[in-house]
Amino acid sequence: MNNIFELKRFGLLLKKTVMERPVQLVGLCGLVLAATLVIYSALLHFFGWQAWNLAQNLTFAWCFFGGGCFLSSIVFGYFGTNASGSAYLTLPASTFEKWLCGVLIIGVCFPCLFLVFFRLMDASFVMAYHNGLDKNSSTYKAMYNAVQFYTFNDSFVKESITIYVNFVGAMMVGSLYFNKVSAIKTAIVYIGAVAIIFFLNLFLAEATFVNVDMASPFNNIRIKVGNGLGILELPSNVSNIVHVAILFIIPTVLWITAYIRLREKEI
Amino acid sequence: MIEFNNLSFGYTSKKLLYKNLSLTINQGRIYGLFGKNGAGKSTLLKNMVGTLFPAEGSILINGMTPQKRQPSFLQTIYYIPEDVFVPSLTIKQYKNLFAPFYPEFNEDNFHTYLNDLEVSVDGKLNKLSFGQQKKFVIAFALACNTKVLLMDEPTNGLDIPSKTQFRKLIASVMFDDRIIFISTHQVRDLENMIDNVIIVDNGDLLLHASVASICNKLCFKTVTEIPVDAKILYEEKALKGTAVVMENIYAEDSKLNLEQLFTGVTENPAIAKQLFSSN
Repeated sequence: MNNIFELKRFGLLLKKTVMERPVQLVGLCGLVLAATLVIYSALLHFFGWQAWNLAQNLTFAWCFFGGGCFLSSIVFGYFGTNASGSAYLTLPASTFEKWLCGVLIIGVCFPCLFLVFFRLMDASFVMAYHNGLDKNSSTYKAMYNAVQFYTFNDSFVKESITIYVNFVGAMMVGSLYFNKVSAIKTAIVYIGAVAIIFFLNLFLAEATFVNVDMASPFNNIRIKVGNGLGILELPSNVSNIVHVAILFIIPTVLWITAYIRLREKEI
Repeated sequence: MIEFNNLSFGYTSKKLLYKNLSLTINQGRIYGLFGKNGAGKSTLLKNMVGTLFPAEGSILINGMTPQKRQPSFLQTIYYIPEDVFVPSLTIKQYKNLFAPFYPEFNEDNFHTYLNDLEVSVDGKLNKLSFGQQKKFVIAFALACNTKVLLMDEPTNGLDIPSKTQFRKLIASVMFDDRIIFISTHQVRDLENMIDNVIIVDNGDLLLHASVASICNKLCFKTVTEIPVDAKILYEEKALKGTAVVMENIYAEDSKLNLEQLFTGVTENPAIAKQLFSSN
């Protein structure tokens, strides 16, 4: 018997994971998709077609990593009680399979489901808008071109995906460290860490420069120069290192930490 | 076989609950683990199933290390915690999802055990009463036919007929290469069922002996006058004299009284150690 991975056993585990808590997993996914539709519609309703791109960006960002964070906090959320934690840890499947099951749900299944749904929803709204325009109007072309399908390869989406893998990784680790109300506790720790980094960075910037307006960690420092603002940016080589760390190294460390923590979890 | 080799465990590194515990548990026997509340019974069971890790020393169960939690190990052991967990599934759904993880699972036996324990088969498991949930988990655990079965306070929440039925079931599922390990503080529930007794208190192993050995070394009886020269492990005023647990100097036959034994051993651990020092 392979004690690390067996396809049949993994299949059973995945089936058990989804079927055992359909309300939490499938229900939450459904809720996120419904919220996506409602938020998108509401933003368009209140702000009109002029704010279409804003509606697309806001809905995408908030629903994607908001839903991902909630999902990742429950995918290993078995440790609220001693009994369910014991049942999960003693189920005859390897730690790697249990971790992979969580990773598959929040790293592949949910993003794919969300992206497909978002594309369909966005395309339906955009097409309905295009079809509703008066082709004889003088502003037809401008109004048509102002609203386009959401492009998944622009910088905003890439940043959202970066935030997603970081937040979701943190939530996974948090749910394995905190047995109860892990989502809230992890969020507090995460916000605390960000606040410490921000103020430490600001403190160091103020100690080094005068007239500091704002210091964004790992990005730039804005300095007041007369009535204007000067921006000191990180050197490109350092900026690349920071970029790689945020995009790849930190998420990898977080996701691997979740595996190590699961392997060493005691209850 | 389960081997504890100099096991030390503590919830904090400064205060160890178990220190250098060495113990061997043999196959084909039913062990009763007794102790007061907070004595460390559940802790010992959790170390055996791998949900807690020893600070020092090791545990080997049929040659495997529990803390690795490998599937080949986990499919040979079933642990029933004091508070059981059942998801929002019907019995059939539960069986379909969980039974495939246990290669020795026997569906016919499962239904027989459910029937014997009078578990209601309608509706979702999480809607059943605590006692019904517990009986369901016991039936499932027995049907998994694992080599090691660990039960933590299995009779908590069971009514009197269910306790009787539980004892019958346990006796019926015992086979030569199986170990059944039951932890409880309700000593009477396991009377006439176990063949080995382990008593722990504050992480100390106070007694580990077979029922036969206990009955050889101790005499359980009621006397009008307490013998002066015998070592008395326990005494209690009774209607017709004094109930005693004493050294069995005259090789008398007597029936094991677990409650008296437990109280005697926990109150007089030094005498118990003297009496069973040859074990």
